[in-house]
Parts: sequence; C-alpha cells; structure tokens
Amino acid sequence: MRRMITLGTLLVASLALASTAFAAKMIPVGHLAALTGPTSDVGIPYGAGVADAMRYINAQGGIDGMEIEFETVDYAYNAPRAVATYKKWISSLNPVAIQGWGTADTEALVKFVAKDEVPYISASYSGHLTDPTGKSPKTKAPAPYNFFYGPSYSDACRGLVQWAADDWKAKGKDGKAKFIHMGDNHPYPNAPKEACAAYAEELGFEVLQPIVYSLKPADAKAQCLSLKDAAADYAYLANTSGSNISLLKSCATVGVETQFLTNVWGWDENSIEATGAPGDGIAWVVGAAKWGDDAPGMATLKEISKMSDSSGKEERPLHYVRGVCATFFMKEAMKNAAAMGEINGPNIKKGFEQMRDFVPAGLEGVCLPSTWTAEDHRGTTMVNIYTSSYNGGDFEMTKEATVEVPRRDEWLGW
Amino acid sequence: MASAHSRMRCGEFRTTYQQDMTIFPTPLSRRTAVGAIIFLLLAPSFLSPYLLNLGIQIGYYGIAALGLNIVVGFTGQISLGHAAFFGFGAFASAWINNTTGIPVFFCIPLAGAMTMAVGLIVGIPAGRIKGLYLAIATLASQFILEDFFSRADWFTGGAYGAMANPFSVFGFEFNNDQRYWYVVLFYVVAMFLLGTNLLRTRDGRAFVAVRDHYLSAEIMGINLNKYRILSFGISSFYAGVGGALFAHYLGFVSAEGFTILLSIQFLGMIIIGGMGSVMGSLMGTAFMVLLPEVMEAGVHLVGSNTPGLTQALAYIKEMSIGLAIILFLIFEPDGLAHRWKMIKAYWKLYPFSY
Repeated sequence: MRRMITLGTLLVASLALASTAFAAKMIPVGHLAALTGPTSDVGIPYGAGVADAMRYINAQGGIDGMEIEFETVDYAYNAPRAVATYKKWISSLNPVAIQGWGTADTEALVKFVAKDEVPYISASYSGHLTDPTGKSPKTKAPAPYNFFYGPSYSDACRGLVQWAADDWKAKGKDGKAKFIHMGDNHPYPNAPKEACAAYAEELGFEVLQPIVYSLKPADAKAQCLSLKDAAADYAYLANTSGSNISLLKSCATVGVETQFLTNVWGWDENSIEATGAPGDGIAWVVGAAKWGDDAPGMATLKEISKMSDSSGKEERPLHYVRGVCATFFMKEAMKNAAAMGEINGPNIKKGFEQMRDFVPAGLEGVCLPSTWTAEDHRGTTMVNIYTSSYNGGDFEMTKEATVEVPRRDEWLGW
Repeated sequence: MASAHSRMRCGEFRTTYQQDMTIFPTPLSRRTAVGAIIFLLLAPSFLSPYLLNLGIQIGYYGIAALGLNIVVGFTGQISLGHAAFFGFGAFASAWINNTTGIPVFFCIPLAGAMTMAVGLIVGIPAGRIKGLYLAIATLASQFILEDFFSRADWFTGGAYGAMANPFSVFGFEFNNDQRYWYVVLFYVVAMFLLGTNLLRTRDGRAFVAVRDHYLSAEIMGINLNKYRILSFGISSFYAGVGGALFAHYLGFVSAEGFTILLSIQFLGMIIIGGMGSVMGSLMGTAFMVLLPEVMEAGVHLVGSNTPGLTQALAYIKEMSIGLAIILFLIFEPDGLAHRWKMIKAYWKLYPFSY
C-alpha cells in the first residue's frame, strides 16, 4: 500500500512537472487553412508548406529553445467560420501569431488582431493590409498587425499591366490596348480591381467593364463569349487556379484570343498539367523559387518537404514554397522578438518591422528579400512574371521579366 | 386542488380548460424549469469558454429554429429560406447600429422587426400557395436575399461583409463568452416564453387549425391568408432576433454564412427536435450543434494515429448530420420531444404499464 502511495505521488509530481515544463517551452501559433472549399486547390499545398516548415523548425530545436505548438483548423474558405475559430483560439490556445489564409477572413479579422495584438501572417496579399498606420487616404482601416510575404495583389497586377504595356509595344501594335479584370464578386478577386484598373489607365490602356466568373470551378463559356465580344487584348484573371483551369478551357472552345494574365494563386504546375495546351502563354506572378531551382536554399527546402514526405520524391508546387517562406519570416520575427526579451505579439510585430531586404537564414535564393517598416507593410514590390507552355506534358516555365513596381506613397493600403 | 399534486399522475384528470392550458403540469416541472434557469445563470462561472460557446450557439440557433417551427411545425407551411431571414436580421442589426448609432441593446429587437417586415412581404405570395410551390417560392426568397446581401454595399458591406459592435449596456461591453451568455440566455427565455404563450392564444390555435386541415379551418371562420402571412412574419421575427444575436456575438457578418445549407440545417433541427414542439426546437438545435463536436472528439479519440481519419473530419461532420436526419425520419419522425414524452410516460406508469 505504501509503495502504491509513493508511486502515485511520484506519478502526480512528475506529471505536474512535465505539464509546467510543457507550458513554459511552447510558442502557441494558430494555423487557419483552406483544405476544403473553393480555394482548396491552392490551399492544400500552401497549408502543407506552413505545417512542414513549423515541424522542421521544431525538429531543429525550435526558436530560442522553445517549440512551436500549432493547431491547424480547416475553415473551408468560410469567413464567419474563420472569425469563430479566431475567437475560440483567443480564449483557449492564446496564440502569439497566426498563419492565416483568405482575403475575406483576413480583412474581417484586421480589427480583432489589432485589438488583441496578434501578428497575423496571411496568405492573402490584399493591398488593403499594407498600411499599418492608416495615414494613407486610400486606406479603409489601418492594419498594424497584418503581414504577408510577397508583392500585394495590387502591386502584382500593376507589374503585370506594366509587362503588358511593354508586350504591346514590343509586338509593334498601335492604338490603345484593351484591359479587362475578371473574377468573382468576392473580396479576394476584388482586392486589386480598382487599383490595377487605375494604373492600367495611367499606362494608356482602355479599361473595360469587369466580367464576373465563379470562384468555384464551373463552365464559363458565357463569360468567354462576353470576353470575345469585348475584344479585350489583356485579361487579368483574379480567381484561383481551379477556377482558371475551367475558364481557360471554356475560352479555348469559344475561340478567345486574349493574352491572359493572372496573379500568384491563379496558376501553378498542377493547372498547367490540367489545362493542357489551352493554358499556353498565360503570364503569371511567381512569388518564390520553384521546386528544383538552382538556389542555395533549395537543400533546406527539400529537408522541410521531408517532414511530410519521408521519401523526398514529391515535387512541391509553387504555393508550398511560399507557405514555407511565410513561416520562416515569422520564425525570424520570433527570433528578433526573443532577443527583445519575450516572444509576444507586439515584439513579433517589431521583429518583422526590423527586417530590411531580409531573407530567412537557410532559404537564400528561395524567398524574395523583404522589408517591413512601422509605416509600410509592403514586404516587397518585386514582381516576377513567368509564362508557361504545356509542351505535350513535359511543361516548361519561362521567366519573362522582373518588374520593380514603384513604392508610391498614395498606393499604400490600396 | 388538482394542481396541488406534486407528482405526475397516471392518467388524464384535467377538468378545466385552465388545467389543460397550463405550461407546467406539476409543481415539480415548474421547479425543474426554475432550477435549470438558475443553473444556467451560474454556468459561466464554472463552464469552459468552449462549452459556453456551444451553449451560445444553441441559444441563437434555437431561437431561429423555434421561428421555423412556428411556420413549419405549427402552421404546416414549408420554408426553405429561413437562413436568409436569419442573415437579414444579422445585417439589419449591424447596419442600424453602424449607421444610426442606436445602441445594440435596441438594435436586436429592431432588427427582428425589420426582418418581420421582410417576412410579411415574402409571406404575401407564399400565403396563397401550398406544398411544393410554396417550397420553391421560399427557395426563391433565399436566393434573392442572398444575392441582395452580396450586392447591397450600403446595407451589408457587399462581398466584404459588415462589422458588428459588441452588445453593451451603459458602456459595459458583453464582449466575451462569459458575458454574452447572459444576453443570449435572456433572449432564449423571453422568446421561448413568448412562443409557448403564443400557441395558447387564439392566433396560436388558428395556426394549428390551418395545419391540421385548412378547409375545416376556413369553414370555422379562420382567415387562411391572414394566418399564413402572420406565421411567416412571426417566424421571421424569431429568425431576425436569432441572427442579430449571432452578429453581435461573432462581431462580423458575411453573406457566406447564410446559404441554403443553413436553411436545410434549420429544417434538420426541427425535424430532429420535433415538429410542432416548442421545447423540441431547442432539443433539436442542441443535437445539431453538439453532433459535429461529438464527432470531432470521437475522431480525435480513435484516430489520433490514423491521419486519414483526421483529414476526413470535415466530411465526417457533414455526413453525420445527414445520417442523423435520415435516421430520425425513419425511427423517430416525431423527434426528440416525442421521445422525451415517451420516456416520461414510461416512468409515469412504471412498473405497471398495463
């Protein structure tokens, strides 16, 4: 009996010890992912990148000796569910940072994260998230705790429009080129709509009435017929890749001869494969190195990929790489925060805002150098534009241009 | 006299209409109800935020489900557009508060009234048609309102949605689960008392008459049109209040939350809970809110080392709701409320059931 009591006491004591040790050595991070729903085509690889990167960071000993404790929640691209998850986290997990996803939910959470001082690293690159102080006249609401990795949707679209203007000249065509925005009536496709149209007009394009097509992949021949009637020369596709695949196939059937442009979520290896020849020539924005590129950081990236693919054979799409980059920038910001004394929300924010042309250690050549300041959360304005060709299944991606979009003050928060 | 009996009796001994209409048949049932409310008043001090959150969800969805039960279970109509009214209440409350600055305290009933007005308008054509045609007409209102939500920038903020301020009284904000619990509890008690009493009035009995046999009801002098439209109006009022409570709890309203799927879920709640039962609405809602959570807990318990199962969680949750509705339709078409009644009847006669 006595032995039982001693054993019991020991057990309880060790449990208590373990739990306190556990609590002290963890950095709670929320991970909101779209593994189902209309954007799951790009949400699954991005979410895998984020999760693998956090596991890798933990496997390498964590940050300042502390491991990241993360909880992944699939919110199916449903903004109210994202807000509900956030509220649940605030009362239970108490995260010091959140890896988020879509534009609708990120913009809905701007005020919440600012109030609770939780840095929010989104996969939404909406230009509305770039003004931390709210001093720009175009800003609807200041977003002091929002960060993202890559050029904003507006800047990316400006870069594409810039490229289109050069393309128009290079092809020696005269007259005004016609530019059109296409996307669903949803915060994500709408984010760059006005900003990009304004810049296109400035560059001498004739801007046509936007065309709406569904974010959920569906037959889009009606939209393609409108596009054909409008005789647009350049069409910017603002949806994600799944819906673009069906649009491009529909447009090929209808016989549209427009040069398509699309943003960072609108095109990838999987969509080249799925669309086949109708996808040839689409120009899109690539936000990081692609799998297998010759870059010093590629070795680290391959190690990270092994966290969920022990064979190391899986070829990861572009979105996976950006997920890794977004997480590694967070890690570096947390390191900076640890150097300030404590890893908490306000310190992580300051940790981000210390970075100048910074690339996370180990990912040189993979992630774009980024700069955040207390007044400007446009991490980078460098827009890398690629085109693809299907080539009978052995597809190719060709880099067309790098456009450095100017950092105009009046474009902040727009 | 008879009401002085403290326990259930083994038969029907009611001799006056008053006894027939009473809400609490025995003092014990009254004491249980009062005790339950006292328990719920104390609940925030010991329940975890997770459980409080579930309770709050049961509260606002339950109010809306009771509204649907009034139109479907009591008046015998069908509505596939309840989620849109729920959403309208949510947007209306946020809109009134954001544009006029009227405190949220007043916005919630005002939003209910606005939703009621919309419900009455939808009810005008709906009052003249029956069955499948009515189902399609209410389906149309669902899609019209949904489209309105994503386009009416001035009212809903368009595709971006609207922010809703927290509920506050004299500057005291009910901005967390522990505090908001009381707001929802107040509304649940008030709305359910109102619902129970509504069904004891002439209008309530007219609803039931319309449901049971509309021709006989008309011959008895009940204006069918009036009562059909009225029941849509009252049902929308409930949906509006439920929606407004939802809006100020979440703090954010978006058109995405009020799709046809939620309308079907509301129907599922009242089918599972029991058509034509006030308490059944609450039971069904509790079942629908808790089932996915139980599934999640079950999956985590069984499948912590089978990643495939955890990944399929989203589907398992959705499927379990569908399965529950089918099983209830087959084995307990009268819902949880009926099952509860059967359990009570069993104990009433125990151990000599003959």
